[in-house]
Formats: sequence, C-alpha cells, structure tokens
Amino acid sequence: MNIEQVLGSKLRVKILKILAQVGELNVSEIARRLGVNYSTTKNHLKILEGENILRHKEFGRIRLYRLNENSPKAKAVQKLMEAWEHANKHKTTLYFNKRGLRLIKEERGN
Amino acid sequence: MSPYGSVFRDETKLDINYVPHKLPHRDAELHLLKEFFSFILKTPSKMTQRVIITGKVGAGKTVLSQRFGADITREAGKHGINLRYAHVNCREYRGSLFLILHHVVSVFHPNFPRRGYSAEELLRILLQILDEENAYVILALDEFESLVEREGSDAVYKLTRVHEARQDKPQRLSFVCILRNLKITERLDASTRSTLQSNIINLDGYSKRQLKDILDDRVFLAFKPSTVPEDTVDSTAELAFAQGGNARFGIELLWRAGKYADAEDLGTVIPECVRKAVSSVYPLMRKSELATLSLHEKLLLLGIARFFKESQNAYVSLAEAEKAYAVACEEFSAQPHGHTQLWKHLQMLSAFGIVETKVSAAGSRGRSTLISLPRISAYELEKELCALLGHTKT
Repeated sequence: MNIEQVLGSKLRVKILKILAQVGELNVSEIARRLGVNYSTTKNHLKILEGENILRHKEFGRIRLYRLNENSPKAKAVQKLMEAWEHANKHKTTLYFNKRGLRLIKEERGN
Repeated sequence: MSPYGSVFRDETKLDINYVPHKLPHRDAELHLLKEFFSFILKTPSKMTQRVIITGKVGAGKTVLSQRFGADITREAGKHGINLRYAHVNCREYRGSLFLILHHVVSVFHPNFPRRGYSAEELLRILLQILDEENAYVILALDEFESLVEREGSDAVYKLTRVHEARQDKPQRLSFVCILRNLKITERLDASTRSTLQSNIINLDGYSKRQLKDILDDRVFLAFKPSTVPEDTVDSTAELAFAQGGNARFGIELLWRAGKYADAEDLGTVIPECVRKAVSSVYPLMRKSELATLSLHEKLLLLGIARFFKESQNAYVSLAEAEKAYAVACEEFSAQPHGHTQLWKHLQMLSAFGIVETKVSAAGSRGRSTLISLPRISAYELEKELCALLGHTKT
C-alpha cells in the first residue's frame, strides 16, 4: 500500500497516535479508545502490521500491539507524531502569550 | 512572614515510603537476607528462593525487604543480570492473587489489560514475559496474611511451586513473604507450609536505644540542624518503645511534631510538640477519667502540666514537680501533702497512664525520679484541670 492509502484512514492515524503516546495496548482497549468495534479495530491493526509499522506480542489470548521499533516507517510515524505534538504546544503557547500581551495592553490603556 | 521558616530540611525523609540507605540495627538481618539470595548473582536460573520475614508493626520488615530489593537489583545490574524486585502490599490488592500478579506483569507491560484471563493464566503469562526478557523477579508479598486469608492454601501453593511444571526451563520467580507472625501459616496445608518455612527471619521490636539511633538518623536527614533537641528525640523514642518498639510510629510522630512546630512558628521541635502530636494520634484522656482523680492528684498533675508549659524539657524531676505542686496547692487553698504521700499520687497518675516515670542514672547527687507527660499536651491538660478544679473550689 502507498502512504496515502495507509495514512488516508482517520482511524489508522488515531491508532498510530494512541500507540505513539502509550507504548502498547491490547485490541479491546484500542477499540475502546477509538470508539469503534473490535473487528473494525482488528482490521486496521492488521493493515498497519502488514505495512510493518506495528508489531504484536501474544500472551495467551491477549495481543499487545505497539509500533515496530525496527521499522523505518514506524520511526518516521513516531517522529511525525512528536513533531506535530510539539508544534501544537508551541502554537498554544504563542496564542496565550499574544492573548496575555493584548490583555496587559488593554488593562494599561484603561 | 515567619521569623524562623520551616524546621524541615526534607520532610520526605520521614515519609512511610522512604527507604534509607542505612538501616540501623538491621545489619545482621539484611546480611542474612542477602545470603539467602546470593545465588541470584552467580547462577540465577538454577534455583529460586522463598524467605519469610516476621515481626511486629514498625519492626522494620517492609523497609528491610525494600532495602534488600534495591541493593540486590543494583548488584545484579552490575553482573548483567536482569533482576526486578517487585514489592506488593497484598492488603492494597485485597489479597487477590490476580491483582497481585497483574501488578507484577504491569512492571513489564504497564498497559496490560485487567480482564479476560484467570490468575493461573496470568502466572503463566508472567513466566512467559520473564523468559522472553530473560528476567528474574523477587516478589515481596507484604501483608502476606491478606493473600492467605482471601485465597487460601491453593494460591500460595501455585505461586511457590510454579517452577515444578517447568523443570527444564530457567527458574525465575523468588519470594519474600512479609507477615506479622507465623500463626496465619497454620491455615496453609502441610506441603505449602514446608515449602515456605525453610528460611525465616524474625525481627524483634526495637529497643529504646535502637529507636533513638533510628530517630537520630531521620532527624539528621529530615530536619534543619539544631531544630530538634535531644529531649524531643528521647521522648519520641520512649513513646515508640511503648508502642512495642514501633519505629514507624516514632518517625510519624516526629513528622507530626515538626508540623506543630511549624504551625506555631517555634523554630524548634520542643517536647510539647511531640505531646501535641501524640494526643492528635490518640484521643486526649477522657475528661471523665481526669474527674475521677483525687484533689491532690489533680493538683500534682496541674503542677507537672505547668512545668512542661513553661519548660522545653521532656522530663521534670520529682523535686521540681513537688515545687510546682506546692504553688498549685496555694492557688487552690489546699494544704500540700508530704513527699511520701505525693509519691503515692505520682504512682497513681502513672498507673492511669497519664504520666510516665523513670529513675535517672546515678549522678553526683544520687538517683532521682523523672516524670514525663508523653501523650497529652501540657496546655490542654492545664485547661482541663483548671476547669475541673474550678468546680471543686466552688
């Protein structure tokens, strides 16, 4: 699959985001966090695993999914998530700084 | 703005979860525990160990195990051995084997699901994880009684015999069971008991001297220099000794006394702070009990309370108490009793547990009786007694 096919799904991007944040999770918990059913989640996980972006470990009936730390694609995804998160935080800080400055100016004007 | 600031340098050193680097008066036990587990540093996969630590509350069972855990994990790391020490308070997990094992699995996989499998499966999963990671675990089961009470013999049997079904594989799971006394193990079946009870370390309650050493160490770590007088440490040690040699009680009392000193901006943790601290832990003697004292017992007690109110000492000699008693007698127009009679009143107050007495070491002027007021704030006691004596007068 090409990149737009893999990352074109909102749910798959959400899965990657969740796993980049918490490390590893079982299928039911990922489904719960996505707010979708088990089989839909499992299908998306299968696609991401097929692309070598995810890997899983089995413990009896439990499957724990995580980003495949040996895969360049997974590394790129992790970096993208971090950069995105960082940029958003920076943007929020800038917004609050600007708003703060505006409020101070307004107060001084009064 | 406070003129003194806090008496604390680092109050976390008095926290129940703080594990000091040095355990005063537990060297031998720590050494023995390390001996029991010394194989882990040489041939970790060849055997496992089970040790029981028993002792009364505050005898240092938990801290001994935690210190051992930290030390052996560090040593194992130096030897390239992946050893984890997991300390689980069984009571916190309601004695459930499943929740206890889940806690251990969470050490390796923090988001491991809580549902969908049994305790037996979880035990197998734990061993699978240990095999995959080539890791070893020393699982300390604190308040082991809770596990036995809830799960009975079977759970303990499964835990301690888990390696029997995997003869050819490395052995990975050892145990330290921490409990107050061995009575609870009578509930276990004979084979489980025999598996468990081969190595027992029994901790006696600390002596007064030992408690003082422990408290001195903590004072050094937690308080600013010269903020805790020796008398304060002495009286705290005595109170902790009276609680069956309970070091934890003494350490908590010190923290509480420090808080009282800070709240009143004293700059020093005087013995009165300890009295306030202990009366906040134990309810003040009931007013009805004070009311049953005779007039002269009340007056003697009032004299003692007033002495401690004015003084920062932890002890008052009988001679000084007698003087304070004479003043109280004058105030309430009573004829003071003689020394022998007063001695009897003091014995009565001591029997009630209101004061404590001890004989001082022989000095240049011989031995004398020293009185302390360990559990009641001198201020509160004076207030109560004045109210009672006021009624007596009218």
